Formats: sequence, C-alpha cells, structure tokens
Amino acid sequence: MDVNTGKLSSTSGAEGRNITGAVFGFPHGRGSTVGSYTLLQMRKNSTLPIAIINERAETIVATGAIMAGLPMVDSIDLLLLRDGDRVKVDGSEGSVELPSVQESKVVTCVLMHQGKVLALKRSDKVSTNRGMWAGVSGYIEPGERPIDTAIKEIREEVSVESPRLLKDALVQSIRVEDRVWRVHPFLFEVDTDLVTLDWEHTEYRWIYPHQASELSAVPGFLRILRSLL
Amino acid sequence: MFLTREEERILAGEKGVGSQRAMELLLAIGKIYDAERLVPVTSAHLSGVSYKTIGDGGLDFLMQMAEDARVSVRTTLNPAGMDRERWGEMGVSPEFARKQTAIIDTYAKMGVEANCTCTPYLTGNTPRQGETIAWAESSALSYVNSVLDARTNREGGPGALAAAIVGKTPMYGLHLEENRHATVVIEAEVQDEITDYSLLGHAVGLRLGGAVPYFKGIRPDVNGLKTLAAAMAAAGSVALFHVEGITPKASAQKLESLERVQIGREEIERAKDSLTTGRDPDLIALGCPHLSRMEMKMLASRLDGRRKRPDAPEVWFCTSRTVRTWCPKETAVLERFGKVLCDTCMIVAPIEPAHKCTATNSAKACTYLPGLCSQKVICDSYSALLEMIL
Repeated sequence: MDVNTGKLSSTSGAEGRNITGAVFGFPHGRGSTVGSYTLLQMRKNSTLPIAIINERAETIVATGAIMAGLPMVDSIDLLLLRDGDRVKVDGSEGSVELPSVQESKVVTCVLMHQGKVLALKRSDKVSTNRGMWAGVSGYIEPGERPIDTAIKEIREEVSVESPRLLKDALVQSIRVEDRVWRVHPFLFEVDTDLVTLDWEHTEYRWIYPHQASELSAVPGFLRILRSLL
Repeated sequence: MFLTREEERILAGEKGVGSQRAMELLLAIGKIYDAERLVPVTSAHLSGVSYKTIGDGGLDFLMQMAEDARVSVRTTLNPAGMDRERWGEMGVSPEFARKQTAIIDTYAKMGVEANCTCTPYLTGNTPRQGETIAWAESSALSYVNSVLDARTNREGGPGALAAAIVGKTPMYGLHLEENRHATVVIEAEVQDEITDYSLLGHAVGLRLGGAVPYFKGIRPDVNGLKTLAAAMAAAGSVALFHVEGITPKASAQKLESLERVQIGREEIERAKDSLTTGRDPDLIALGCPHLSRMEMKMLASRLDGRRKRPDAPEVWFCTSRTVRTWCPKETAVLERFGKVLCDTCMIVAPIEPAHKCTATNSAKACTYLPGLCSQKVICDSYSALLEMIL
C-alpha cells in the first residue's frame, strides 16, 4: 500500500489500483504484524477503503479494521465477486449483498447407471448455456423443495421414473457475468439407460466420470460432478 | 464474552482512557473469534515501531494511549527505523530521527523496554513453556510458540499493546490446545545452512498460508529455526510449527491422516530464483532476523584477517544492542567491512533514497524489500554474500 495515495503497491499484483473509498476484497492477510497500523495511517490520510471483505479473517487485518473504524466481513467466497461490482456490506450482520446481480436457484441432477453418468447437450431453445453439456437441471419454483424439483425435472427432461437418491451435496454458488447461480446438486441412481429427451436437449451420452472433462460443460458442472462422486 | 468485575471497571474507564481503549480493542478482537473470556499474559512484544511503517497516524495513536496508559507486564519492542546512536551514518534525516525518537520515547513512557529487536527471546524476554503471552512480530511469535512452546496468537502491533496494558488477551486461536496440532507434514531435504532454511520457510509459507507444519528431515539450530520461522511468517501467516526431534511438542503430534508435502532441492532453487529480482547490489544486508551471538562469531571468524575488496558494496550487520554489547571483539572485526547497526534493520529503515539493490540471505527480507523499500533483491547464502566483499 501507499498509505498517502491509497494505491496498491507492486507486490499486490494490481499495482496502481486505488482502493480509497472502495470496498476492498482479498482472500486473507499474511505477512507483517505492523499491517494493523497501515489502516490507521490510511484513516489519517483519508485514503481508507470503506469496507473490507475477506475469505478468512486474520487478526492483523481485523485489528487494523477495528482501530480504523472500518466495517469488515469474512467467510465470503471471493469467486462470486467481480471487479467493479456494486456491493452492500453490513459489518454488524456480517453480510455482503450484490444488488445488481441476479440470483437464480436451480437443481443439477447427475444420473448414474452401472458406473456411468448421464451427460445432456442443451438445445438452442433454452435461455442459457446453449449447446453445452450438463446434468438434468431446472429452476426451483418458489415454495418448491429442491428434491421435488429434481424428481420433476428428471421425469420431464429424460422421462425416467423413480430415480433413487444417492447423495445431495452442499449448495454451490457460481458466478457467471451478472448472475449468481445457487445450485443444489443431487446424485441419483436409475435402473435404465433408456432416455427420451424433451425440447431442452438434443443429445445424451452415458460416460465414465473421468470423461466429463472432455466435454464442453456448463460452468461449474465439473466441480459439481466432483462434489457428488 | 464473560468479563470479571475488574475487567468491567477497566471497560468503564475507571483505570483511565488508554486502558479503556485497550480493553475495547481486546473485546472487539475477542468477539470476532468467539472468545469466551480474557486470560492473563506474562509478557508482551510489540511491533509497529519504525516511523517509516507507522507514520504520523501511528505516533498520534501511541501518544494518545501514553497519556494515561501503562503496560502491566514485561513488554519489549521491535526494531525501529534507525540505529539510535548512528542514525546520521544511515542517511536518515533529522526530521525522521526526531519522529522516530518520539515514538520510542512514547513507548518508554508507557513502561515498554525499548530493546528494539525482533529477537527478544535471545536477549532476555524468554517465555517458559506453557506461558500465555501476547506477542506481535511474526517471526518472534512463531519462534516462541514453536521452539519454546509458549502460547500466543499472531497479534497485530496494537493488539499486543492492548494486551500489555490490560495484562490480558482474548482466549481464542493458539491459546486453545486443539488449534496447536500439526495440520500438514513437510518432508524436507535441504542443506543444513541458514539460507536453505530461509528458502524452505518461504516455500512453505507461500504454499500453506496459515497451516501448522510438521517438519521431518531437518535439524536446524537456533539460527536455522529463527530464519525458518521468519520466512514462513512473511510469505504466509504461519504462527506455529513443529520440527521432528527438536521442538517440545513434536513427539506429541499425530501424523497419520495428514497431507504430506515434499520440499527438496528443486523447490529451494525455484524459491531462490523467484525471490531474486536484481543484480549488482549496492547494499549487502545481513541480520533478518537480528544476528545472534553465534552468527556474529561465525561471521567475524570468516572475515578476520581478510581484506575488504576496494569496490565492495556497503554492508550492514543488523543485530540487537544487547548482542553487540556482548560481542566487542567480533564487532571490531565486522566494522572493518561494514557497519554493525543496532535497533533497526534493512526492512523498516528508509533505505530507498540511498540504495537500489540489496543482497541478503533472508527470504523474509526479500519478500518485503521490493514493496516496502522499492528494492531489487538478491537472495543468496552467507558464503556467496561474503565473496562479494572479499
């Protein structure tokens, strides 16, 4: 930091960027225990950011934030934030909101049969990720339980009944442009490899999990697949 | 957090404004980490001393605190931005010297021992095993946590000062046994040489951030341990580590389920190359962390009877005033090749007007010098650096 100007220095990897008056996000503090005084100096010089967002709070940064009277929030996944985003930070609540980013709740279902998983190619009639590969997916309607959405979508998109739930993984948040997808992943076992597609998909393949990386997959799908298997 | 009646009184301001602010800071930190209560400490060590790093904002803060606050436990101080006696030879301006002296005097007013070293554990502030303390200075706190099995969190300068004043610190983090276990095993193959330990620390710190490493395959002495601690704390945020066969709690660690990381010659060379950004140094700076008595003796014995090259760059041997006082003969030898400077170091002194490229054997220094002092740096061994002046 150059505490007189509010500009990041060379070791930051973003030399010259000015953080004065901005919300400053970085993974976590490391290095000098004198860092607490840096924020105090910035307050004196009026070059302080207006809030700090971290993935993990570290005492030295926290001490500096307290002394400089700076709101600080941690346990935030920085992958969800983009340079230039407008954010709302509440230091007491410990929350960060993105008012101009749309949030969409969806399910993604991986169907498994005899060791292989079902990959579906999205048609050009869907609204997002046309032509890319993914599992069975669908928006969760207001008031609907994710598991019910999952079973409904499996019936509609591939005409498979009675899938057996093997696993549901933690919700994954994926940022793509101005949207954050909150994805509820499910792993089901099915008794058949017979699939009838509807308008949402043009092709299907039963593949071994390791072959998934060969496909042009929807953002986050590979991560979700790994979390389920 | 649960507060005793005494602590409530301090919070209410009954012991003065400085103590009140200190207590507020301790409670705010404790709240972040869900500490149940405060625990008493037996000593403190403070960072945030150099006028270069804390500036007028820091001086103002300290002067406000010193109006009525005093430390209630033995408290020592980190290096300042200048040698208190020889600052004129360092190219420090009178204005800087005035402000720097004001900072040290303000700490002294609060009852802090102004020893101005990052190695207080070698010069009298030596915690015993199991003692609860509040230390800042990332290299020193890591050393005493690991090698002496004392207990401190990775305090910021102000947090350690607050703990020194109140005599207590919030009970969280490394004050809890469950947070002191090894979290990753490092199988290291390095030469038993200071620079290798420093580069090992750099590689581990960069890769692991704030983990608790357990080292196998190394046998560092005190000097190796202090530079290892320093490098890991500068490149990452390691505050505690174990070394097989050497540190007190190493044998108590359970290693079966831990990830293993190999660090060997390749990683060491890669760390060295990545840290080195310059050539043709105009300053060789040794003593990060401050040189121990052993290191002073070793350097003096290698230089005694040799002649300094006429075009040799300036050399600084940075150490504590205490060690310099203990080594008059060695100091005399080293002074023929450079300056034995006390109370300061190459990182927190304002070296950038006079120097552009610094050579050192400390990965910690190489991590900070580019950003803090606008230096190009060269990281190399004692032998290689001494060759540059002989």
